[in-house]
Amino acid sequence: MLALARLLIIGFVVLTVVYVSLSLYSRSVRRAKLESEWNDLGGEGDKETFVREGLEEYDGSLRRKLILGVYIVPFCLMILIIYLTNYN
Amino acid sequence: MAYVKWTFIILFWTFVAAFLHYTLPQQDIARITDTYEKRVDPGENSLFWAQADVGSDGTVPNRDVFFIQTRLSNDRVMVYRNEDTGWGWPPYFKFDTSNLQAETADLRSTADAPQWVVIKHYGWRLELISIFPNAISVRPVEGPDVQLIPWLNIFILTFLVATTWAIWVRWRRFRENRIDPALESVGDSVDDGRSWLRGLFSR
Repeated sequence: MLALARLLIIGFVVLTVVYVSLSLYSRSVRRAKLESEWNDLGGEGDKETFVREGLEEYDGSLRRKLILGVYIVPFCLMILIIYLTNYN
Repeated sequence: MAYVKWTFIILFWTFVAAFLHYTLPQQDIARITDTYEKRVDPGENSLFWAQADVGSDGTVPNRDVFFIQTRLSNDRVMVYRNEDTGWGWPPYFKFDTSNLQAETADLRSTADAPQWVVIKHYGWRLELISIFPNAISVRPVEGPDVQLIPWLNIFILTFLVATTWAIWVRWRRFRENRIDPALESVGDSVDDGRSWLRGLFSR
């Protein structure tokens, strides 16, 4: 069980690094999109407020929750490989 | 300087290619001639051996390992080891070593009445340091001429290249937009300072 614990801990650390990087990247892309959207709209209202409201909407969105797939996909893949290697 | 740079680049990519060639699954068409087990005491080559079966004591220095003797379809011989990879690297999660040994023993055949099989394995056979590829699975096939397409490897390599490329492109864009201008402004102010110093001393 020690080997399994080691795999899970190392896997969790690596995937957390990926998850955090991906979250930050995705948020920065969304911010850039909102800024250019504001510019296209002709610059009505406060830019800061527009971008902040857009990002708050993004925080609650499904797209942001999809990044959790970083944990889920490798775990499912592991289960699948275990099944295919040993019980197929 | 260019030679040093290229030496490092070539070394790096050779290492990456060797790593993938060792780790990714490959399929051999072979005829199993015998199976046996032998005690091994991994020493300098211990990197190329897996660990004891999952659940058993991994601290004793030597143990018995299953081997599979075969003759390949190109008429050369090949010996595979048959070991658990368990929860370790490479991530094949193989726990069914003894079952696989039973299957291979069942598929033994002679040159007169050959039963051809596909052996999926990873690793290398290097006689100089006594290392063996690790068999993952075995399945019987019609004959020695069946066509095998490595779908899994195609998928994995495509995925790897796509991911690397995506990250590389974004990193380059980030560097062009953020880091290079910052470095340039640092360089500019260093130049300013230098000419200011020079001006100070040329008086």
